[in-house]
Amino acid sequence: MISEKVRLWLIRLYPHAWRERYAAEFDILLEQCLRSPLDVVDVFLGAVDAHLQVLNGENVSWRIMNMLNKLRTTLLIVFAAYIGFIIAGFSLVGLADDSPMIPLMKTDPLLKASWMTIQIGAAVALLAVVIGGLPLAGTVIRRALTTDRRNRSLLLVPVFSFLALVLYVGFVLLVWTGRIQIAGVVPVVSPGYFPPGNRLLMMGVMLVFILGAIASTLAVWKVVSRTDTGQETFRIGSRALSVKIYSFAFVPAVIAAFSMLVILVATLTWGWLSFSAFPQVFTGNFGPWLTSTQAWYFGILTLMGLCVLSAFFGLARGLSARKSM
Amino acid sequence: MDTSEFGRFSDPAMLILACLAGGEKHGYAMMEDIEATAGVHLGPGTLYGALSRLEQYGLIESLPADERRRPYRLTGQGTSFLRQYLASLEKFVSLSLKRLEA
Repeated sequence: MISEKVRLWLIRLYPHAWRERYAAEFDILLEQCLRSPLDVVDVFLGAVDAHLQVLNGENVSWRIMNMLNKLRTTLLIVFAAYIGFIIAGFSLVGLADDSPMIPLMKTDPLLKASWMTIQIGAAVALLAVVIGGLPLAGTVIRRALTTDRRNRSLLLVPVFSFLALVLYVGFVLLVWTGRIQIAGVVPVVSPGYFPPGNRLLMMGVMLVFILGAIASTLAVWKVVSRTDTGQETFRIGSRALSVKIYSFAFVPAVIAAFSMLVILVATLTWGWLSFSAFPQVFTGNFGPWLTSTQAWYFGILTLMGLCVLSAFFGLARGLSARKSM
Repeated sequence: MDTSEFGRFSDPAMLILACLAGGEKHGYAMMEDIEATAGVHLGPGTLYGALSRLEQYGLIESLPADERRRPYRLTGQGTSFLRQYLASLEKFVSLSLKRLEA
């Protein structure tokens, strides 16, 4: 019997488009039937033939598969960019909270409008991601529960990440209220004073959140990548609804990407207006846990910018895939 | 369409079609069945080279995977193609037999 490593190496000889379509079933076939060196030679010849087919553009079904894969990658890139944007968004809320910008936003109509734009953009992006992702999530979960068993443990990653965050926040609250004593951490913080111990504790919340978000995104990426989800039929009552999942999710992905762009522009405007009205805010330490406002603001802008760039890069790939379908 | 479209995969392709005429099967079951009925051992590369072409021409179709195994079955087009091929083969066999007897 030939080891898994050799089997995987043999499968890698085939073109990417072929592997996307046949790798899983071919691997199980090799596991069962690869016994003699002649079979290995046969696999080599098969790989050469598959490459020739791709070069000649003979196999239409693989080309379609390639396009579907591009579309799927587009959706995953936009999703990952959105998760990055959520991290930036929460940081922005943390920056604005309890800062001198809050009373300023109540009096300055332009500042208020830019903040409102950020909030509306966030709501639209969230709605788009939920609407576009719902059929895909439903399919992936259904497949994991029925056929794709190897995806089950990966689907638990977001659940455990959320639980880890809840547990850590619970722990922080216990420390905050004085039920758990930790050296260097003060239960009640007076305004304008934030001891290093408390800062570390709060940075822990952010770290757990970011690590959980990254782990969950990677897990979702892996699960979606290896689930065969071109088209799915959903039963709603007695009606059967057939959905082309990737095509369905493409328009919400475009909306989410443009919402992120609008939020980025609104955040730039908001920062510029805040700086014009109250320059001391940006030179001082009004960031979360009394840290540098400038560092937070430019960090947030950089992250948002990277996410928007990634989302539009993904959309460009998806558009080229849709055109050639 | 004729079998020449399958190039060096024409014989394996016809064996697969004949094998699937008995019902849906996944890759390994096809190999076993072809070996048992026709005495031909199809290597994995040959099997999937032929399968991908048959699928491309719409003569067979894949069914949802059971675990990682994906069964295949004949399409209507595949059934009539096989029937036509077997009929011409039958004509050829009877003509050749007649010549031998003459």
